[in-house]
Amino acid sequence: MNDEVNQEVIVARGVKRTYSDNGVPVEAVRGIDLIITRGEFTAIVGPSGSGKTTFLNLISGLDPVSEGEVRLNGKKLSAMSGRELSDFRRDNIGFIFQAYNLIPVLTVEENIEYIMLLQGLSRQERHQRVEKILAEVKLEGYADRLPNKLSGGQRQRVAVARAMVSHPSIILADEPTANLDSKTGAELLDMMRNLNQTTGMTFVFSTHDEMIMERAERLIVLKDGLISSDETRQ
Amino acid sequence: MLTFKIAFRNIFRQKRRTFLTILTMFGGFTLAAISIGWADGTYNNIINIFTRNQLGHIQIHHKGYLDRPTLYKTITDYEALGATIENIKNVEAWTPRIFSAGLVSVGDKTAGVRIIGIDPVRENNTTLFNPKIIDGKPFSDTAAFEAILGKGLAKILKAKVGDKAVIVSQGADGSIANDRYTIVGLIDCGDEISNQTSFYLHIDDASELLVLSGRIHEMVIVVDHLDHVAEATEEIQKSIDNPELDVAPWQVVAKSFYRAMQADKKGSWISLFVIILIVAVGVLNTVLMTVLERTREYGVLRAIGTGPGQIFRLVIYEVAIMAVISVIVGTALSLLSLHLLSIYGIPFPDNGFEYGGVVFTHGYAEINLISILAPTIAVVLSAMLVSIFPAVRAARIAPARAMRMH
Ligand SMILES: Nc1ncnc2c1ncn2[C@@H]1O[C@H](COP(=O)(O)OP(=O)(O)OP(=O)(O)O)[C@@H](O)[C@H]1O
Ligand SMILES: [Mg+2]
Repeated sequence: MNDEVNQEVIVARGVKRTYSDNGVPVEAVRGIDLIITRGEFTAIVGPSGSGKTTFLNLISGLDPVSEGEVRLNGKKLSAMSGRELSDFRRDNIGFIFQAYNLIPVLTVEENIEYIMLLQGLSRQERHQRVEKILAEVKLEGYADRLPNKLSGGQRQRVAVARAMVSHPSIILADEPTANLDSKTGAELLDMMRNLNQTTGMTFVFSTHDEMIMERAERLIVLKDGLISSDETRQ
Repeated sequence: MLTFKIAFRNIFRQKRRTFLTILTMFGGFTLAAISIGWADGTYNNIINIFTRNQLGHIQIHHKGYLDRPTLYKTITDYEALGATIENIKNVEAWTPRIFSAGLVSVGDKTAGVRIIGIDPVRENNTTLFNPKIIDGKPFSDTAAFEAILGKGLAKILKAKVGDKAVIVSQGADGSIANDRYTIVGLIDCGDEISNQTSFYLHIDDASELLVLSGRIHEMVIVVDHLDHVAEATEEIQKSIDNPELDVAPWQVVAKSFYRAMQADKKGSWISLFVIILIVAVGVLNTVLMTVLERTREYGVLRAIGTGPGQIFRLVIYEVAIMAVISVIVGTALSLLSLHLLSIYGIPFPDNGFEYGGVVFTHGYAEINLISILAPTIAVVLSAMLVSIFPAVRAARIAPARAMRMH
């Protein structure tokens, strides 16, 4: 493999997803071709129902494509079994969700540790990484809190830490700021951008928020399940 | 470990529901344990009293004696036989008996009787003979032409302690057998028929009267616990190894009594089944609700790389932890209740009942392994079984769809 292909972290070709809504077919994604390269900081925007969530789910293997193919780090997702897919996600993708989706019974530290535990990292390694990432998301001293004792912004920072701590190559975030006020949302985005630049991880996130869009390096606009514009700013 | 930690903490999320679920399992467990322990205890108690009264736990006869008793189907050299039996594990005591029929006269009254020759010391060790004597005294240890009469027979013959009784019967050699005995005691055998027909003699007197030359008709054995009867029967059979002799447990000797006990015992197993059903429905309800509620969470766990097997275990562990808590608490309460019930018992309705001449007023529980083990298996197994389906469903959740749920 040459270097250029190696740089292609996400490759979508002719990707379609059709749902059946009580027998009526709903074409959520109608044919998307897209290449995202290493280190990009990309926003996917578009009106409600345009297929942002669906597309993110397709490129992370959470949802199978109806047509077309998705390659992540050169691996074809549709060729993997359920178990392989979940291991692949664990090792390659960090997720951030709109509704935080932390494990409510685990403390901040345990939530962040979770994926590393699945990966079987040593206790020492885990501890070091948790300390480091907590500092990076500015949550020192919160390690032993339960999620419901945190503000929305703090929770989402834990989610960012959880997504990044296992050093995945891709961070996918579906409307990570939708539940936050705009100031907190902007702060979170700045923090993500910062981490993107220091770690070189690839970020793809969807959003509705104009202020958030401005912070993106590349802006992909979806409309009715298709890409209507795709521009990269310098 | 991680899965277990989450499962454990999940238990505290819906405290009310967890409490009710544990209560269902614990309640089912305790009810089952107490009903089995009580039924076993009560029946074993009845069987114990019944077998200890006369029957014994195991009997040995000459082949065919039980079906058609005759004077001639005898056991020879019972002392040697007894010496062998004594050494068998769990055997507590044995005693020889001689049976025949005869006519007894006291004064001008005459009645048909069942002559029973017993070894006074051994009989008392085996079936507690002496405490049943209600008037007079027990036999002397050696033969002294003494007789003990059933209290009903004494009434028929208008006999009292100190009177002379003359018996006429037939010896094994065909001769007319007759002799005179002093009535030394009256006995309450337990049931009316025995009381009206029993004429006890010292075994040596009976042997001489009937010209049996030391041969006997029946050997009665008791063991230390009802649970050991089957094993001891087998052991005895093996070690005496004589095709001429029949070794039979009380279940065979007293078939109708045994059947009556069996029929009643089934009731407690039906109640166990009903309890399993209640536990199963209760647990199923909880697990289904939990899985439905946490669908989104399972979706997230799957998304971030948790395998389906771990989700399955997460659901199963949660139920298992609740089941274990229920069993532990249930065992503690059941043991305590059974212990108290084994001491104080529960009175039977209508002042109890009579069986085979023995009056039973109270049912006493028994603490045995099965009364804890059966409910443990029942509760754990039914809880696990009903959880499998919801757990598989949780494991199979499609993450994308699950996370769209609210
Ligand atoms: N599981 C499904 N079954 C049926 N229809 C679905 C399913 N998932 C998504 N859809 C439909 O697909 C279309 C795209 O949905 P999607 O959630 O991807 O849009 P979105 O851009 O993320 O919207 P929003 O901004 O509201 O989150 C919508 O019309 C939605 O109703
Ligand atoms: Mg969406």
